[in-house]
Amino acid sequence: MNRNKQTEFLGVIITIVILILLIFLSNVQVDKLSYLESVVNTVVTPVQRFFTDIKNKIQGNQAYFADMEALKAENEELKRTNSELETQLRELEVIKADNATLQEYMNLTQKYAEYQTIPAYVINKDVSNYSSNLIINVGTNDGVQTNMTVIADKGLVGHIISVTEKTAKVQVIIDAASTVSAKITTTDESIICKGTLENNQILRASYIPTGAELIQGDNVSTSGLGGIYPQGIHIGTIKEIITTSNIIDRYAIIEPAVDFSKVSNVLVVKNQ
Amino acid sequence: MKKIGIGILFFIIFFIIYFLEANIFPFLTINGVLPNLFIIFILFIGLFANTAYGVFFGAICGLILDLIYGKSIGISAVMFCIVGYLGSYFDKNFSKENKITIILMVVGSTIIFEAGYYLLSSIIIDFKLEWLAFFKILIVEVVYNVLLSIILYPIIQKAGYSVDRIFKKNNVLTRYF
Repeated sequence: MNRNKQTEFLGVIITIVILILLIFLSNVQVDKLSYLESVVNTVVTPVQRFFTDIKNKIQGNQAYFADMEALKAENEELKRTNSELETQLRELEVIKADNATLQEYMNLTQKYAEYQTIPAYVINKDVSNYSSNLIINVGTNDGVQTNMTVIADKGLVGHIISVTEKTAKVQVIIDAASTVSAKITTTDESIICKGTLENNQILRASYIPTGAELIQGDNVSTSGLGGIYPQGIHIGTIKEIITTSNIIDRYAIIEPAVDFSKVSNVLVVKNQ
Repeated sequence: MKKIGIGILFFIIFFIIYFLEANIFPFLTINGVLPNLFIIFILFIGLFANTAYGVFFGAICGLILDLIYGKSIGISAVMFCIVGYLGSYFDKNFSKENKITIILMVVGSTIIFEAGYYLLSSIIIDFKLEWLAFFKILIVEVVYNVLLSIILYPIIQKAGYSVDRIFKKNNVLTRYF
């Protein structure tokens, strides 16, 4: 009985204390207790995060299974659209390439407007290591004849050495058997440009007049002498001048403007 | 009859080699140098068929190549004739059983063909000879041809003996004794 009364009394006191604490705490401003909060957070957060992660995962999985069908359908749809777009892209690329080719032709014709020209492209290249003739896709049917000059957008390519009904053989200027009469545009000095076997990216200019002053980077164009090439077609630039002990023997290396390994669109000059 | 069939087959092989040379090998050059499969092919005809076939196919194939690419007609026709004759000459004097002899034959005929071709065209078209540059290209070409003939040796051997059986029915055994 007594004992019961004691515990009842204790219970009342504890309740009062808790109430007082509650009143006290609820009236204290929270920011003053932030250190406590941070302590609690430090303890709780990792555990909480762990559980939240698990929860999210489970929920996510449920969503995954639920969305599977929808996603499959969507994927199909996207794939279809993608293939359609790719087809369109390919078509566009073809159109783009066509456009570039046509534009190149137009630039060519504009650049050499004073010449009547026949557009052509290279269909074959020599399989020998010692000559570099080209075969182009125009022939007598298009009005091509032997000894006509062939040019590309950047400069001289060569001349036609033989022609059939639908094709023509072009001897390019870098061929070891080719010789072009040329002049340096700045000084009007005439030189002879020959192809070399050693390197089929360069021309070798010889018979340089002894009084001539050559400068690296000078432009070289056809002189019109010799009867095949008309005057004033750009050949290339002087890359290097090699002086020998005798000034008569000196020669220059000329870098042709046309890249002969990649030449594909050319023009045949009709009138001389 | 069989010989005519083989002749037609040779023409088909020639055009296959031509398309390989014109379209595939430009992407597989060694230091910018193409191999010359035609030499191996004509040598093969001279070696395993007979002299007439070697010279005839040499002339025809050379003429076709001259018409397609050449600056003047006939130079490679003459040189391929010589290669075809060389093939039959090698056949009479050397054994074909050995890989090494076949390789040496390829080396010899490549050098003879290219040197003759270069010299003849320099005489006919009239340009300055550049021997050093020529030898540089020639060495690479010989190496390339040798590599190709090593790769093609099993085919050469197999096809060669089936051609050989048709052309030299009786004297295959007696030749060596």
